[in-house]
Amino acid sequence: MSSQVSAQSAIKTGARRSRRLGDLWVALAFLLPSAVGFVVFYLWPTIRGFYLSLTDYSLLGDAQFLGFDNFQRLFNDPLFWNSLRVTLLYVVINIGLQTVVALALAVLLHRLTQSVTIRGLVLLPYLVANVVVALVWFWMLDYQLGIVNQLIDWIGLGRIPFFGSETWAIPTIAMINVWRHMGYTALLIFAGLQMIPKYVYEASALDGASEWRTFWRVTLPLLRPIMALVLVLSVIGSFQIFDTIAVTTAGGPVDSTRVIYFYIFELAFERFDFGYAAAISVVLFLILGGVAMAQLKMLRAGDSDLS
Amino acid sequence: MSVLTRTQRPELSQDRAASPRPPINWGRVVAWTSLVVLLIVTLFPFYWMLRTSLSNNRSLASEAGSLLPADFTLGAFQRVLGMASTEEALAEGGSGANVNFWLYLRNSIIVATVVTVGQLFFCAMAAYAFARLRWPGRNKVFFLFLTALMVPPIFTTLPNFILIRDLGLLNTFAGIVLPTLFMTPFAVFFLRQFFLGLSREIEEAAMIDGAGHLRIFFRLTIPMASAPIATLAILTYINAWNDYMWPLLVGQEENVRVLTVALGVFRSQTPQGSPDWAGLMAATLIAALPIMILFAVLGRRVINSIGFSGIK
Amino acid sequence: MRKALRRSTGMIAIPVLLAACGGDDGGSGGDGDSAAGGTITYWLWDANQLPAYEACADAFHEANPDVRVNIEQFGWDDYWNKITTGFVGGTAPDVFTDHLSRYPQFAGQNQLLAIDEFVERDGLDLSIYHEGLADLWISQEGERYGLPKDWDTVAVFYNEELLDDAGLTPEDMADLDWNPDDGGSYEEVIARLTVDANGVRGDEPGFDPDNVEVYGLGLNGAGEGFGQTEWSMYAFSNGWTHTDENPWGSQFNYDDPAFVEMVDWWRGLIEKGYMPSFEQATAGVSMMESYGAGTYAMVTEGSWNTGAYMGLSDVQTGLAPTPVGPSGERTSMFNGLADSIWAGTDNPEGAWAWVSFLASAECQNIVAEHAVVFPAIQESTELAQTAFEESGVDVSSFTVHVEEGTTYLAPITDNWAEVTAIMGSTMDSIMSFSSDTDALTGANAEVNALFE
Repeated sequence: MSSQVSAQSAIKTGARRSRRLGDLWVALAFLLPSAVGFVVFYLWPTIRGFYLSLTDYSLLGDAQFLGFDNFQRLFNDPLFWNSLRVTLLYVVINIGLQTVVALALAVLLHRLTQSVTIRGLVLLPYLVANVVVALVWFWMLDYQLGIVNQLIDWIGLGRIPFFGSETWAIPTIAMINVWRHMGYTALLIFAGLQMIPKYVYEASALDGASEWRTFWRVTLPLLRPIMALVLVLSVIGSFQIFDTIAVTTAGGPVDSTRVIYFYIFELAFERFDFGYAAAISVVLFLILGGVAMAQLKMLRAGDSDLS
Repeated sequence: MSVLTRTQRPELSQDRAASPRPPINWGRVVAWTSLVVLLIVTLFPFYWMLRTSLSNNRSLASEAGSLLPADFTLGAFQRVLGMASTEEALAEGGSGANVNFWLYLRNSIIVATVVTVGQLFFCAMAAYAFARLRWPGRNKVFFLFLTALMVPPIFTTLPNFILIRDLGLLNTFAGIVLPTLFMTPFAVFFLRQFFLGLSREIEEAAMIDGAGHLRIFFRLTIPMASAPIATLAILTYINAWNDYMWPLLVGQEENVRVLTVALGVFRSQTPQGSPDWAGLMAATLIAALPIMILFAVLGRRVINSIGFSGIK
Repeated sequence: MRKALRRSTGMIAIPVLLAACGGDDGGSGGDGDSAAGGTITYWLWDANQLPAYEACADAFHEANPDVRVNIEQFGWDDYWNKITTGFVGGTAPDVFTDHLSRYPQFAGQNQLLAIDEFVERDGLDLSIYHEGLADLWISQEGERYGLPKDWDTVAVFYNEELLDDAGLTPEDMADLDWNPDDGGSYEEVIARLTVDANGVRGDEPGFDPDNVEVYGLGLNGAGEGFGQTEWSMYAFSNGWTHTDENPWGSQFNYDDPAFVEMVDWWRGLIEKGYMPSFEQATAGVSMMESYGAGTYAMVTEGSWNTGAYMGLSDVQTGLAPTPVGPSGERTSMFNGLADSIWAGTDNPEGAWAWVSFLASAECQNIVAEHAVVFPAIQESTELAQTAFEESGVDVSSFTVHVEEGTTYLAPITDNWAEVTAIMGSTMDSIMSFSSDTDALTGANAEVNALFE
């Protein structure tokens, strides 16, 4: 490390000032466009959002400063706590199911076939926009006309009110998003599987281990860092579930799908309560901050595992 | 092809190791069955879109269980593409609305292309500054950039909307692309990780030869990172193509309306109480078609590029 | 975009003007005020009404060649979102179809143009409309925000074939009564129309309420705090109103025993197996599709959906008036729509020209001929009635309320968005049996607290 630094500074003219500032001027030039984007479209709106969370702002009039009233209100708002609970439920089901299915799919693809076409087919749902995916499933899962309930009926089971029942709504929405993302996630894991050297499998096979045993004893442990990465990448996205709900249940039945993102949207754009919506966004911001921190930690852990 | 033969070998050797010619390998049967089931689950909704789009909307309710189109007609596609009159459309359970497909396709291509090219280029520059240049405060600035990962998009959407309005950029391409044109925290993070993993030796050799950072960036770093950049480009393109909320807010008008927004508008225009499912599915297929074609053309490269080649 | 358009029409206008100077004065822009040029954007939410208003726009353009009307239609759910983001972003339409429950909030936020001066200047006669419709659009502060375009009431829509199967006749349907205790003859009909999987009817011994094939009455949702087509006809006929006074009430009555007992009876239909459970009803794409598939024998619906129901290919639909309640009359909510002008329009004169045209007999007669809704002007309503009859639909079940004076105005209050949010989840949870009807007490207190 130190030899690199000395080598580089040797190339430079060697002036003291330049050594202290390093490549500052070049770096500034390289950073300029993205820094503009960052300041204008991330930093400034965030600061403004924080400010608005302390106000009563109807979007149309001027913002009235309130202090911490919105946060006090939030603490006593059962709908807020409900939205938090529902969101967590969604994240757990979505991520849990998605990881298991994608892992299974990846292993199957890896062990059974080299066909790029099959891998391509698996990726298809990911190419379709969220809104479209939600619409298609809404149609397929309809209580009376949907093909899925027709099938359930043929089998002889009772029809399921997927979007109409408080117990089914969140699992249904989680399942829809699993469908969209499982192929993509599977391919990420697949890439991880390909990084596992072939001789590991050959050795395991020569030892007479079954595929099942090989999977639990060899594949999974070696896959751990990749799985950690895949998990944390999807968790943040999972917290922001919105499109599917906006198109299908719109928060119902009885608040059972009123996730935090949808609640914020509703407060801001339908009830003109932007100040309060911003206060809830601040809470979401803090939660996602925690998740992102965990993510960075796990990535670092992953780094050391691989080396 | 050499890749194929090489990777197949372990399976062959393994089969041989198990037993020369086993009558039926039940494990394999179960595995193949599971894979086929997963594939059916993956693909069936696409068939159902097609089946519904080729049905007469008025007959869907009575033939809900039929696996074939109900009362086969191309009417849905015709009314989506504006080739049916309002009266004809209403008769088949649609509305007078249509999707000005070629215009919206053009708009989607413009938006997705500009966002992808701009974002990747600018983020690569930033990533280079974070990975290869040394300057005071570098890690602090990088951390600041990373915090943007945590900002829920809905938090910034409204202030950004007001900003774009105040700049007079509502209903312009500039208004649609600007917020994601310069950077996304993920792209910066992703590329920096990859640049860190690149060998420094070639760069240092070039530097001794007197090459500046600009030259190294364009001639060495970008070519060496072309694989992960391609991966990121494809992901960015898909995301930009599928983005809905932002273009919905700032790009309502015809001349800048993208396909997803057009689909949303078409959806909301279907008759109240009884959606035009056939028309909706036809529009959905049409909206998804371009990206599928792109996918079919790039095919193998896309699939192979998704993975961790970029991230350590 | 809008500016660019105006510039281009301006350029087209120049040769026209030159031609008019050269020749004798047969110029096109002679009558009307010349200030009202340009393009007017107009929004509405009902696709079924689009052809009628397109015809109006053509007629308007003929009379005012320098003004063009650009009509856009968005379904109900997206409509209000688009309007509000339009207000914020400055891209709202010049003129839009407005709803009684929405306009007080918009007016309070200074988003609507008061039209009193225009009305006075042009000397409009507001007595041509059905009584009371025009004055609904005067705010608490006394300013007028819209001119009435149509009205609607509620009736019972039934599947003629299923009615016949049950051994009932249209005459039976015409004279039903209802009460919150045993549901009266109305419930008897609903029970008769209900059929379980074994073919046993709801009023026969051995009926299995858990395995129903055809429900006597359909369910669209819990109706939030509005209940227009869901429960308002029962509640009104039980002597109940939404608020202490209407318009501009400030005390809601959701905890009134007359309302609570009505809700108890209504959701009791679910337990009896005569009406689908709330889960089933909201898990489906829509009530109309279930009805169209023959799963519901009858539904309560608004007059604006008449055309859509009549257009169902597999079901022949008949209409019956709402049942007579304990108050001794059959009742219906009376709702009226109007066209409002957005305060941010860059062309108030043109917008006003279009609004007053929409509210004129000329346009409302065109709408009447399309037989989709009942126009606000009395003589146009008669035209619409004839038009419906010509297409084979007897709409007297809707008009009877106007003739007999049994209409109840839709509630007009402030804070409607909040009321909807509170009552929406309360009614949902009651109808899904997650909570009891005593939840209405707390919800009503919460609603009333909004007005303190």
